[in-house]
Amino acid sequence: MSVPARYQDGLVAQVIDVSLDYESVGSAGNLLLRDRETNAILTRWAAADIHPAYGRKGELRLSSITQNSGARIIVTGPAEIGQVRAMLPDLTTKQAMEFSKQVRIGVIATVALATVILAYLYGVPLLAARVVNYVPPDWERTMGDTVATQMEASLKETDNFAICDPDPNSVANAAIARFGAAALGTGSPFTLDIKVVRTDVANAFALPGGKVYFFSALLDRAESPDEFAGVLAHEIGHVVHRHAMEGLISSAGTGALVGFILGDMTGISIAAGLGSTMIDTHFSREAESQADAYAAEVASRMDFQPAGLADLLNRVAEDDDFSKALALFSTHPLTEDRRVHLQALTHETPAGLEPPFTAAEWTAIKTMCGSPLKAPPSKTKLGN
Amino acid sequence: MVLESEQERPVQVVFTGTRREMAGILLRGYALMLPTIGLYRFWVTSWKRRFYWSNTEIDGDPLDYTGHAMQLLIGFMLALIVFVPIYAVFFYLSTQSGEVAVTGYGIVAVVLWFLTGYAGYRARDFRLSRTLWRGIRFDQAGNAFGYAFRRFGWTILMLLTLGIVYPWMSSNLWRYRWNNTWYGDRQFNFTGRARALLGPYYLAYGVVVVVGSVGVLTSAGMGAFTPGGPSDPLSVIPGLVAALICGAFVLIYQSREMTRFWSQVHLGTANLAVTIRARSLIGQYLLFGLALFVAYVVLAIGGVVVLFTLANDAFAGEQFDMALFMSHLQGSAGVLIAVVVGYLLILAAFSFMHELFIGVGFWKLVARNATIGDVASLRSVRARGEDKTLAGEGLADALNVGAY
Ligand SMILES: [Zn+2]
Repeated sequence: MSVPARYQDGLVAQVIDVSLDYESVGSAGNLLLRDRETNAILTRWAAADIHPAYGRKGELRLSSITQNSGARIIVTGPAEIGQVRAMLPDLTTKQAMEFSKQVRIGVIATVALATVILAYLYGVPLLAARVVNYVPPDWERTMGDTVATQMEASLKETDNFAICDPDPNSVANAAIARFGAAALGTGSPFTLDIKVVRTDVANAFALPGGKVYFFSALLDRAESPDEFAGVLAHEIGHVVHRHAMEGLISSAGTGALVGFILGDMTGISIAAGLGSTMIDTHFSREAESQADAYAAEVASRMDFQPAGLADLLNRVAEDDDFSKALALFSTHPLTEDRRVHLQALTHETPAGLEPPFTAAEWTAIKTMCGSPLKAPPSKTKLGN
Repeated sequence: MVLESEQERPVQVVFTGTRREMAGILLRGYALMLPTIGLYRFWVTSWKRRFYWSNTEIDGDPLDYTGHAMQLLIGFMLALIVFVPIYAVFFYLSTQSGEVAVTGYGIVAVVLWFLTGYAGYRARDFRLSRTLWRGIRFDQAGNAFGYAFRRFGWTILMLLTLGIVYPWMSSNLWRYRWNNTWYGDRQFNFTGRARALLGPYYLAYGVVVVVGSVGVLTSAGMGAFTPGGPSDPLSVIPGLVAALICGAFVLIYQSREMTRFWSQVHLGTANLAVTIRARSLIGQYLLFGLALFVAYVVLAIGGVVVLFTLANDAFAGEQFDMALFMSHLQGSAGVLIAVVVGYLLILAAFSFMHELFIGVGFWKLVARNATIGDVASLRSVRARGEDKTLAGEGLADALNVGAY
């Protein structure tokens, strides 16, 4: 029984009404196409070569690997489609094979992408640590200036920010600069620029190119010069290891990856933001322990206990005004491991070393942002 | 034969697809994009095109899209090669200060604008060369770099003349695109003239300049642009009203341009005639705005509910405790996941509504208002050699140019 269909040969833009019949040739078979008007035989399609092409609902479109790429047999109507499927039982298997091929491609591509992402997440921080050694110090310095300008501008808007004691030759600033130069040693291409600034947030951080910011709220909580020196030495460790630059490079790298996944390389700014938060936690653990180790090394050259760093972080952590501490801990996560490690790094210092700050210098530093008693009195219960 | 010699009536283009079908394609696509880390988007694009093409019937025969998702995926990979250096330059510039950065960003923007023209032309080539009708392939000749330079030159003229030359630019680029378009061995021919656009364009131009500046100045006078946010919430209303009026006139212009220019596209003696009413086009955008609004209200309610369950103690007291809430944000993986999912849902809701109301709506609008004269003449078109040189749409995909 022949089935009505439409046929286009892929050579001329014509559609011909045909009738389809199956003719067996040995074990194989052909689809025989006859012109419905004249009943003349138009062509034969070998059944083995016939594949389903995409058709909308209620339409079966067939193509053949041995015909022109545009050639199609089009069958419409559920009864007719059923008849053709009965003539060509391989069609369903071929459709299923094509589907599983697509699934296979999808799975392989996904696994490949997942592998790339994992390699990337572990590789980017490693790569950033290598790449940072090739970044010209001059470039890092100009970048630090840009970041510092932007940061000061944004702090000025919200936190009544100001630089405490702008005179570089004051007792406090001279003492800090002397400590910084001694702690930095000769191994770094940068000269330090340490600023104590007034803000309500307890934090300290190092920008690219040797700029270090120490926030007054953290200084106010410091009870001994050891604590202050410990944090400062830790930040100088970040400068020496160029961690800020490393962090920027790796978040740029992850940003590109997220941009790739979302498929919009132009929407990179959102992507970079998301990417950096994803990678930062992993990245900073390692950077923090490197900076701690550096602080301990500095402590062995000067007379202070690096555990003071842990004491100060502890005190801020136990502070019930938790929200202000958050800023500090998002950049300096204080894990139990780290505290234990810092205690272990505290060793006997050789006798005869000068303390980092004299009593007079320490008083000057404590008062450089105005009254240190600005700290809320209710929180001073935690003295050791 | 007597019937053949008789002059045929123009044939109406028919669109048989429904929004419901498209919604099904999109929802299944989004669901599969999660486990495939976004890769399934190339399949979604192919499915979408198959839907549009196969539901567009000309003289009883639908269009046939033969592109594959793999081609798009490979093209995207190739485009990344172009993007890696651009991205590196971006990163370098972001670390520079002041003038260097501004100049640098300017140069990158110019390069990207140029590449957008190139990518758009290549993408059109890809789509045309994978479109069949009655078994015969469409194709695009011409040179993508040539087109990109042409478009770039016109852009400079546009800037110099503050947009006065737009009708000439538009007709010139339409001509380049259509005169390089082929159906089998027959070449398209575009006969549109800039003067057909002059009236509607300068009307829209004048309205945008006058209404736009009146709106902005009124808002500014009421203090909408004071640093640190508008002093009076009502002050943004004149600006918003002006923006809506300008948007409406831009759409009116676009409906005129499409009507007048598409009706000047000929293929031998067959010719296209399209009539798009401005009110239908505006209606489409209003519908889209409404749908998007509803979707975002639903998402916002859902978001509040989710955040409440995840961080309910922050809401527990008399008032919302921001510090506690922030500590949840920092500490809990659940909240982090909620934020990421929320971000993806907002993106998905936008693209879903955009596809349903702008994508399908626009395609339907054009198809249902298009007729083709002398379709019979196309029966003698013959196939030409195939264009298999294009590996996907690459750049266009990465740059996010071109709909459909
Ligand atoms: Zn640190």
